[in-house]
Amino acid sequence: MTGPGFGMRTPGALQSVLEAKPRKGRRQRGSIWAWVVFVAGFLYFFLPLVATFEFSLRAKPFLAAYTNSLKDPQFFSSLAFSFVIGVLTIVVSIMLIVPTAYWVRLRVPRLRPYVEFITLLPFVVPPVILVFGLIRTYGHPPLPLTNTTLGGHALLVAAYVVLSLPYMYRAVDTGLRAIDVRSLTEAAQSLGAGWLTILWRVIFPNLRVALLSGAFLTLAIVIGEYTIANFLAQPAFGPYLSLLGNNRAYEPAAVSLISFGLTWTAMGMISFLGRGARGKVQLVGTH
Amino acid sequence: MRDALRARPASRRSRAWVGLLPFFLFSFMFLLLPITFLVIGSFQDGQGQLTVRNYADIASTPYIINAFHSSIEISLVTAIGGGIFGFLLAYAVILGGLPGFLRTALMTFSGVASNFAGVPLALAFIFTLGQIGLVTGFLKTYLGIDLWGGGFSLYSKIGVELVYMYFQFPLMVLIIAPAIDGLKRDWREAAENMGASSFQYWRYVALPILMPSLLGTVILLFGNAFGAQATVYQLTGGTIPIVTVIIGAQISGDVLHNEGLGYAMAMGMVAIMGIVITIYTWLQRRSEKWLR
Amino acid sequence: MTTNHSLFRLATAGATVAIILAACSTSGASQAPASAPGSAAAGGAMDALVTAAKAEGALTVIALPHDWCNYGATINAFKAAYPGITVNELTPDAGSGDEVTAIKANKDNKGPQAPDVIDVGLSFGPKAKTDGLIAAYKVATWDTIPASVKDADGFWYGDYYGVMTFEVNTAVVKNVPQDWSDLLKPEYKGQIALAGDPRVSNQAIQAVYAAALANGGSLDNAQPGLDFFKKLNDLGNLVPVIAKPGTIDQGATPITMRWTYNALVHRDTANGNPKIEVVVPKSGRFGGVYVQAISAYAPHPNAAKLWEEFLYSDAGQNTWLTGYCNPVRFDDMKARSVIPADVLAKLPDTTGTVFPTLAQLNAAKDLITKQWDAVVGLNIK
Repeated sequence: MTGPGFGMRTPGALQSVLEAKPRKGRRQRGSIWAWVVFVAGFLYFFLPLVATFEFSLRAKPFLAAYTNSLKDPQFFSSLAFSFVIGVLTIVVSIMLIVPTAYWVRLRVPRLRPYVEFITLLPFVVPPVILVFGLIRTYGHPPLPLTNTTLGGHALLVAAYVVLSLPYMYRAVDTGLRAIDVRSLTEAAQSLGAGWLTILWRVIFPNLRVALLSGAFLTLAIVIGEYTIANFLAQPAFGPYLSLLGNNRAYEPAAVSLISFGLTWTAMGMISFLGRGARGKVQLVGTH
Repeated sequence: MRDALRARPASRRSRAWVGLLPFFLFSFMFLLLPITFLVIGSFQDGQGQLTVRNYADIASTPYIINAFHSSIEISLVTAIGGGIFGFLLAYAVILGGLPGFLRTALMTFSGVASNFAGVPLALAFIFTLGQIGLVTGFLKTYLGIDLWGGGFSLYSKIGVELVYMYFQFPLMVLIIAPAIDGLKRDWREAAENMGASSFQYWRYVALPILMPSLLGTVILLFGNAFGAQATVYQLTGGTIPIVTVIIGAQISGDVLHNEGLGYAMAMGMVAIMGIVITIYTWLQRRSEKWLR
Repeated sequence: MTTNHSLFRLATAGATVAIILAACSTSGASQAPASAPGSAAAGGAMDALVTAAKAEGALTVIALPHDWCNYGATINAFKAAYPGITVNELTPDAGSGDEVTAIKANKDNKGPQAPDVIDVGLSFGPKAKTDGLIAAYKVATWDTIPASVKDADGFWYGDYYGVMTFEVNTAVVKNVPQDWSDLLKPEYKGQIALAGDPRVSNQAIQAVYAAALANGGSLDNAQPGLDFFKKLNDLGNLVPVIAKPGTIDQGATPITMRWTYNALVHRDTANGNPKIEVVVPKSGRFGGVYVQAISAYAPHPNAAKLWEEFLYSDAGQNTWLTGYCNPVRFDDMKARSVIPADVLAKLPDTTGTVFPTLAQLNAAKDLITKQWDAVVGLNIK
């Protein structure tokens, strides 16, 4: 209905947008088309959410889907697990990306294409492929990470750090572009600061917004991720929700909405914290 | 000053790259090495012997060829459809004369929606357009339209495309917004001062400038849909032949189980994505030149 | 691979050719039957088994949905009885084929991805034995398991059976189908689903087999079942979704073919919201037997044995029965009157149910798994 439909209807709509008169004329005619498009988008965005909410209310007694979900210890344990994994992913990703992006900008710009290429690779290698590569690599000696619980968690974090590379690198690089890295570094050096001090005391604070943006985005990806967690047999939120979806009627609707609400909150925090900041906040995910 | 700074990296060239060692080491261990193992695996049979059989199998199995067709078709349709609608939506809120707060709302929402994929997304559409979904029920009760009886299915290509669009066009909105912002108002005014119609402005000024980033973003959307697995898996339990789903099945096991074939299919995907990303980078570079 | 491996190990230990040959013939499981069968019944051996299992500290099970035969209660009871052993549950939704593959794929993996025990469709047992993937073990109650549903050497042993039914969500389906032929009616467009992929899942394979019986086929001829599903698919009545309790409730798969025990347990848990009706079809009543086995590569072999002892005790068998699964020791237990009367009273009427022989079952399974793609061929349209 919507998919190809939009494609077919578009020439007309586009034309009307394009031919809209500027200034006075545009205010009116352009606005109508803008409103039509906006309302269509709004309906498409919100109907599935409304439907999910409505479905969750079909459970009896009233709100049972929510009370049941909140009573399920696995709900909290899987959510907490994914949250901790997400935080670890963020920490590792930041520790890895910030010094790298900083160093590329300051000292080895000639290596930039290689670094950028690598950070783009996760786009080329979808999660379902990455996870099998990891299992094949670390499923046996010399580094049998999949054989231990801790190793499995570590592999999960590593995989998520890989997923976060494109977003984190771009966020940090944009952030660095906005500040004068060279002058800041030289000023700090002239005051006798070492590299670690410079990174920790000068660069990190100046990248606050960029890092927050990258961090929340990473969290949003990690919290709902299914494919990698599932194939690595990790007790994460994505697989839990999938299992719930397979076995229950109304609870999955409730839990979906709760997770959606959490993501929404995280995104709201980004735009709140990012308000007034120069760098564009990047809000793009993966599936 | 400038010369001094330039000279520095050169003089320390031999040691400066060491600073990137952690990054390269990490990428090697968790990205490059696993990919290498997959490449090797795709050239091995069940006994570990060297073979090109897996690739031959792809070419000779109609089921798999079909899956590649379906995946590419679904990705293309949702990339173009999502791209066009996402562009219109972004244009509507940025330059369409809508209240300013709608832009912030749309951007924030797009951030969430572009990540609202996988399990919850599949469920949301079952609740919306499934047999007892809200919209299905509404259409049947109030408008007398029997969606499923009339041949609609959430498990058809149209159905899957409809679901994918949910994360496709928010992504378009997010990526294309800066490019639309980059359309300088002066250009439009200049064009109008010279007597150009709106159509001429778009035909000769705006679209040529936007085209590279439009195409570039659509290509990203293609990759986004092409690599998706969780959504369609949750939707159908894995019976719909989509490349990512089959790879999962071939490698992680069922009766079809054939690891080498799975790896070879993965390589097929990587090759397609490689081409896609190459085109993207090329277009990206062109568009940056244009906008300068 | 396996044989080479044990050959190598024994050869380096300086064993004679005779021993090597003996080892080959029983594969990696040669020790298990020697130490365990029968002897576990004696208190001392059972204690030793418990101690050894506790030392391993964990048990990995696979494909045990908690609603299936009340496995949730079984697992909890096991955990309560042996608090030192953590139970690691892998992909509860996996099919029998997946379970066997999981053993194969994790031969060298001693981590939590490798299953210790499997619960698979009857025909998967002998196949896994031939492939050397399972190890022999005879539980203490071995003699009360009917000989027709166990491997004489103790590699696999029947655990329970059920009858194929239609499980119907009446919130979607007003007119509940009573027999296989009803399913072809246009009113069921986009409503009928299998509870698995017929290339993998035992339950789905046997649904096709059951359809054959109702459509002019016989226990020796499963082809009409494939033809029937092709018709369903061509009519648009079959949806390409793997049905689960969730998808039934959510209306994604309003009419699903599942075993009595799955359908009835789900009807009880749904408790009227939505209202589920379970129909034992008038024709093609077909019984499916599942079997237990221990992986030959089990990372926790003693915990696995302890688990089997637990399942085949009277209490373990009764827990299955509360989940509407007819346990394999049913007759013995009924004769000794150890089955609670209220549990017995709740079982549905399944008179006229037929059971295929192992040979018939294998032939049918072979036909269905190989021909499914060609004959029915679910594709995205």
